[in-house]
Amino acid sequence: MSELTFTPVIGIEIHIRLKSDSKIFCSCSTNTDAPANTNICPVCMGLPGSLPHLNHRVVEQGMLAGMALNCGIRPKSLFFRKSYFYPDLPKGHQISQCDLPITTSGYIEVHDSEGNLKKIRVHHLHLEEDVGSLHHSASDGRLEGADTSYVDYNRSGTPLAEIVSEPDVASAAEAVEYVTTLRRRVIYSGASDVELEKGMMRFDANVSMKCSDGRWGRKVEVKNMNSFKALERAIEYEIKRQKKIMLSGGEVIQETRHWNDSKGVTTGSRLKEFYRKFIVEPDLPPLYISQEWVNRVRARMPEMPDVRANRYVSEMNLPREVADFITDDKNLADYFESCVKAGANPVRAAHWVRTEVLRVMNEKQLKIQNFMITPEVLAGLVNRVDEGKLSTTQGKEVFDYMCANNCGVDEAVKNLGITEGGVAGSALDEIIKSVLAANPDVLNEIKSGLDKKGKKLKFLQGLVMKESKGQAKPQEVAEAIANAVK
Amino acid sequence: MELYELSLYHLTEGLKAKKFSPEEVYESCKKRIDSCEENIHAFITRTDEIAKSQLQEDNSGILAGVPTVLKDNLCTKGIRTTAASKILGNWRPPYNASAWNYLRSAGAVLMGKVNMDEFAMGNTCGNSAFGATHNPNDLSRVPGGSSGGSAAAVSAGYVPFALGSDTGGSIRQPAAYCGVYGLKPTYGMVSRYGLISYGSSLDQIGPFARTVRDLQIVMSVIAHYDPMDSSCFREKNYDFTHHENVSIKGKKVALVKEFQDFTLDPAIERAMKKTQEILQEEGAELVEVSLPVVSKYAVACYYALAMSEAHTNLERYDGVRLGYTVKDAAGIKEMFERVRSYGFGPEVKSRIIAGTCLTEPERCEQYYVAATKVRTLIAQEFTKAFTQTDFILQPASPEMPPLIGSQDDDAMKGYQADLYTLPVNLAGLPGLSFFTGYYGDLPVGLQLIGPRWSDPAILEAGLVIERHTGTPEIANEGVK
Repeated sequence: MSELTFTPVIGIEIHIRLKSDSKIFCSCSTNTDAPANTNICPVCMGLPGSLPHLNHRVVEQGMLAGMALNCGIRPKSLFFRKSYFYPDLPKGHQISQCDLPITTSGYIEVHDSEGNLKKIRVHHLHLEEDVGSLHHSASDGRLEGADTSYVDYNRSGTPLAEIVSEPDVASAAEAVEYVTTLRRRVIYSGASDVELEKGMMRFDANVSMKCSDGRWGRKVEVKNMNSFKALERAIEYEIKRQKKIMLSGGEVIQETRHWNDSKGVTTGSRLKEFYRKFIVEPDLPPLYISQEWVNRVRARMPEMPDVRANRYVSEMNLPREVADFITDDKNLADYFESCVKAGANPVRAAHWVRTEVLRVMNEKQLKIQNFMITPEVLAGLVNRVDEGKLSTTQGKEVFDYMCANNCGVDEAVKNLGITEGGVAGSALDEIIKSVLAANPDVLNEIKSGLDKKGKKLKFLQGLVMKESKGQAKPQEVAEAIANAVK
Repeated sequence: MELYELSLYHLTEGLKAKKFSPEEVYESCKKRIDSCEENIHAFITRTDEIAKSQLQEDNSGILAGVPTVLKDNLCTKGIRTTAASKILGNWRPPYNASAWNYLRSAGAVLMGKVNMDEFAMGNTCGNSAFGATHNPNDLSRVPGGSSGGSAAAVSAGYVPFALGSDTGGSIRQPAAYCGVYGLKPTYGMVSRYGLISYGSSLDQIGPFARTVRDLQIVMSVIAHYDPMDSSCFREKNYDFTHHENVSIKGKKVALVKEFQDFTLDPAIERAMKKTQEILQEEGAELVEVSLPVVSKYAVACYYALAMSEAHTNLERYDGVRLGYTVKDAAGIKEMFERVRSYGFGPEVKSRIIAGTCLTEPERCEQYYVAATKVRTLIAQEFTKAFTQTDFILQPASPEMPPLIGSQDDDAMKGYQADLYTLPVNLAGLPGLSFFTGYYGDLPVGLQLIGPRWSDPAILEAGLVIERHTGTPEIANEGVK
């Protein structure tokens, strides 16, 4: 009997916080770091009598995110009430576009196990509101068993996009590439900052297994993954778990399982999943989006990272690997492009950004947006090195000085005692003269033809370089000494 | 004549001309309330002192110094708002309903929050956690509902006007039962922001008063665009000022063909005939329109939608943020269960359960979704009817106000009685409940319906009819 093989069939649901100053259905600030329950109003508290009104800025953010996933914008979408009881959900229902979303039918490209490009279809992206956050007094931080629980509604009503893929993902690696690429494109679109450490991206995965003997396992929904790593591990764990069950002839039950990140396992829910039903949100009219509005938003859509990387390769002659690296972070790529725009040679600028800029960013834990050297200033420095006014070593010295002292190129050069353009001409002649005068024996040896291997000549060149504090060009020094000893 | 007896119009004119002071008006109304309230029980919360302090504020609005009351499902900042339910406990909203803000800005002062059926579910004002309100025309009878407190307060002369809300007839039926005028405006004409929702797509705030002119004055204040209510999408202003030389000459008024077979109370039958005579005398043409879908399916459609929306609107009452709560529950689930089991009254519970069943995944298509489709047909049927007529005349209720307690066992009978009012909510139309005269000691009211946004025209037609019927008298049965 041939060995059984299993193919994972995986769909991924992603929640992303959309970037907006105000909440989706009221004008409260979206700053969730504010003291608890300070950014709230009757609407996001779900107080009796309050009504939601749609923030059109959030709609545009949703459109941008959808465009970043190659989705089409629907001319009419609806809001629904998704009912369940939980203390962090003030109205007892969440307003969500679950049944008739704003954008549909997109895709994201990833590489399969053989390295070929494949499309993961995006079923849709819809808008919805986030819930409040709970703080429990129980030692394990859970609601069940807690003596007292506190609710902070600052997050309630902050705008979310839920992105639902088709079950096209076949491995944990594909899943990670899918969410990584998706995240990068959404950041590029400006729809969200998707800061992972702030919980702005949360994942659920629907995992089932197809066996080569024709058996299909039931679908298991795995929840509670908040990082790429957790998503990867949870999927890997679930694939293994389901495979084991099916190999032993058992049946995978359809259920919702929770990922326990510290234990590295998924566990079946102790609580039965809350019963959900949808009715049309009667307090919000259908959302109509005209082609004209779509066009206006599309005009704001920046170049996507893959297109940008291709341009760097074809127009700027950047190596593919460098282009991919720089475009991975939109802000870094923006910095790089500003540097090029200011006149720097692209290949040289890319090198500087990748090595020196990133090094200092890491050392000082800085974001590129807050980097002390503007791209224009960096371009000036790159050019001076390129033109030979500064040696590479000097360039790096100047760069570090500028970072440490927050100053410009000129000031750094001056304070470092560097003579720009190096020591040359009469200054160089002076040095050579004094070096020769101080080493008459060596000079005589050379003149009498004893320095056959040129070692003595090199010795003199070294002394001159040292005297010039490295600011003379070795080539010029060599020539000048050769002339002087003739 | 006592000041409390004055119509809103005469009151504002008198105040403007300084014939009397706002304090005198206040004292007169307060005295009237004191003399009747024990028997009528219209109030859930009296706010005499708040009204007094509001009188001190400088205001030159058109309602400056006019006392009013609000149905207790309209949020009032810092003042207990209950929706006649135990579940809201002593909740004091941190904000005002927009409609109340508009009245307040125009100078109205608040005498109190008045009784209603819990969460506006009912048509007797008997489903209240605060006890029943009595009809000021006959204390043994219901004032109608759900805005029974508002209708009773205006009828008994407590205040010249009041606000209520109408989801399936809750303004028009109590107005008819109590012998006052009541307008259910076009859906979207008055902001619902701050109105505690029952069926959001059906709810509408509207005024009660003792003259049609008074309704016009109130509408001119509360028909106001409000960005806080997305269903309030009025783009132009509506003119409620025409009251002289108004006419319905040449207008068409229709009776609904399918309704002619239904049995009406003789008093209402007689009022229908009398009103038709008045309309003809005024030069209107009587026609007939056919509303087959409405007559057959409106009641089922209405309750399917209202209950489906209601059960989600009531999901927010969980004891977490406001109102009644329990502190000794073993867990969150027990807390929800106990809060909701104790907090809601029986009628509300039955509608929550019905709404939950109607929207269950396996039944949703068959009931909730089907009802939304029928609703579209009903709206289309009215649109077509209004190409054939300007107004539709029909009862506000098939029966006269029943005795208190007589209906308690037969909820379905109560639902069926709403056939004349609830199609108007399904189609978002305006409906005026108007006084036609007395039958014995009881007032008889009827209803005039128009196409969407025809609120000013309906009121003008009401003015024409009022010229023949005269205005209702203030009901005195409540006086001790």
